[in-house]
Formats: sequence, structure tokens, C-alpha cells
Amino acid sequence: MIFRAVEDADLIRQAARGNVESYNLLVSRWEKRVYNYLLRITSNREDALDLTQDVFLKAYQNLRKLDDPARFAAWLYRIAHNEAFSMFRKRRPETDVDELEPEATETKVTVGGSSVFPMELSLAVSGALGRLSAEQREAVVLKVYQGFKFEEMAEILSCPVSTIKSRLYTALELLKTDLAPVKGRVS
Amino acid sequence: MKCPPFDLRDYFLKELTTPQSAQVEEHIQSCLECREEFDQLRLTEAALFTLREEEIPQRIAFVSDKIFEPSPVRRWFSNFWGSAGRLGFASAAMLSAALIFFSLNTANKSAPVAKKSEEAAVPPIAAASLTEKQIQERIDTAVAIALEKALTQSKDATRLIADLRHENELANAQLIRVAGDLEDARRHEKNQKLLSAKVPEVGDAK
Repeated sequence: MIFRAVEDADLIRQAARGNVESYNLLVSRWEKRVYNYLLRITSNREDALDLTQDVFLKAYQNLRKLDDPARFAAWLYRIAHNEAFSMFRKRRPETDVDELEPEATETKVTVGGSSVFPMELSLAVSGALGRLSAEQREAVVLKVYQGFKFEEMAEILSCPVSTIKSRLYTALELLKTDLAPVKGRVS
Repeated sequence: MKCPPFDLRDYFLKELTTPQSAQVEEHIQSCLECREEFDQLRLTEAALFTLREEEIPQRIAFVSDKIFEPSPVRRWFSNFWGSAGRLGFASAAMLSAALIFFSLNTANKSAPVAKKSEEAAVPPIAAASLTEKQIQERIDTAVAIALEKALTQSKDATRLIADLRHENELANAQLIRVAGDLEDARRHEKNQKLLSAKVPEVGDAK
């Protein structure tokens, strides 16, 4: 556990009373994680940045509605999830959210200058994530990249744990098919 | 995946308790199929982590602006106070204040007026309590006073007319006297002229 001189809960309480400096400190602790979560599910840096700003603004304006500061992370990601899927709906209102696909196939998320892993593997990962449904990809991002528990994911996505498990298991099977041989070949 | 005591994917996703995880780990050591499955999941995870977290291109920070207030009430007030509605509110407030001030001021002033009217309303009520005789006496007295005043005025007018007539007669007498004097003066002047004309004739005769 990372020791922090001031806990998030204290910052949340101060920010809820209108202390902007406390909120800015809180934002600095979470902005990178939220941005990367949104980047993974939107596959677009501009969208991810815009959404991140919206998320933190909404979070600040609704901080008083957060009853338990310990649930801040799930609450924040819930806002981020809503903002992202709201954007998806606005852009393609005629499409069912279940069928939404990110722009990953057109604009690949890449990691520049990586000497440890080959570029083709990164592209393969981006492609594999892009082939998942929006819900499956989001489940993978929240679990694998963000490290949330099933219960927290259920709270963020507002669905039962069984649904979360189903999405994750299916996504893992698809990713395993796409990536495990690739990884094995590279190794 | 019925082979391990618990779901291998839950173990991989770190959702099992410590004792449960220990049982799965023990099973993997002895089960080749589960070990291969678990290796594939680990390879998949390793591949996924080739996508590293990116730094946010632009830091997010908020300024101390009331419009970002966490309180909806304070945010509404900030928005309202910064909007055109403020002008309308200020106008309405000023109008209300003016109306209140005017109504209070009018109420203070109208109170003595009401008092006066009450006082004025008392005498008729008292008059109504007088007898008819007393009223008649008052009327007679008032009429007598009015008649006396009228007679006095009439006498004065008669006296004035008599004086005017007398003065008129005096003026006429004066005028007649002046006219007589004027006639005498003309006659005297004529005689004088006649006398002055007869003197040369007397001299020629000499």
C-alpha cells in the first residue's frame, strides 16, 4: 500500500466543502488512471482527454452525493463509464450499445519506443482488444488494467457480478486465442 | 473447466481467497491440462501489458471558480448571479422595495387623515341629538342675523344713492352758475367792443 500524507478520503471531504486545491491534488492522483481507462475503451486520445476533463468536472460538482469516500474509485469510474457510453450513443444513436465498436481498427493504440516488446505485438494486442465488444473490452480494461474486483466492476457498470464474469470469461477466451500464440511465437 | 477445485479464470483474475488460491496452485502442479491453460492465460496477460499506460497529454486542474462549486445551490446561485437574470432580479427587488416604502409611508400619512375625518364625523352625530325646537331657534337666529346684515347693507346703499344724488344736484348747480358767468363775460366783451368802435366817429365830427 502506498503511504500518502493525506488520504483520498480527507481530500474528498475538503473538496466537497469547496476546497479546489484539495480537489486538484485528488485529480492529480487519479487523472492518469482515468485517462488510460477511457483511452482503452475509446481508442482515441482526444476523446479520452475530453472525457477525462468532463469526468472530473462532474465528479467535483457531485462530490456531496458521494456518501462513502472509500467508494470514490468505483464512483469515479462509474461517471467515466457513463460519460464514455453517452458519447458513443451520441455519435451513433441508431446503433445498439452492445454493438458499439471503438475506432481501434482505424486508429491503433500504440506504445511508442518500447524496446522490451516488439511493435507488432502491441499492434496485435490493439487489434485483439478492438475485436471485442465494447462491454467485453471495458470489462478487460477494468479488471486487467485497472485491477478492480468483480463487486466494484458490478457497481461501476451497474450490472450483476454474473454478467461481469460472463463478459470477462468470453473476452479472455477471445484474447487468448488471438494473443497467446502471438506471445508464444515472439518468446 | 471442472478439473480444478475452483474456476481457474477466477484464480488468474485474483478473485479467490488465499486458501482457495493455495488449493488451485497445488492442483496446477499435478494437472498438465490446467497448467497449460493457466500458462496461456498468463501469456495473454503478458501480451495485454505490452500496452503500457500513457501519460495524460494535458494535466487537469480546476481554478477556484464559484461556477464549479460542489453544492448545487451555490452553483445555481453563482450561475444566476453571473447571468442576465441578475438584472431582472435587481429590478424586481428595487421595485418591491419602492412599493413597500411607498405603502408604509402612505399608511403613516393616512392615519391622521382618518382621525380628522372621525373628528369631523362627530358633530353631525351630536347635531342629530338636538331637539327640533333648538334647531329651529338656531335657524331663526341665523336668519335674523342674515336679515339684519341685509337691512344694514340696504340702508348703506340708500344713503349712498342719496349722497350721489345730492352731489349730482350740486354739480348741476355749479354747471349752471359757470354757464351764467360765461354768458355775462361774453356780453361784457361785446359791449366793450361796441364802445371802442363809437369813439372815432366823435372825433371826425369835430
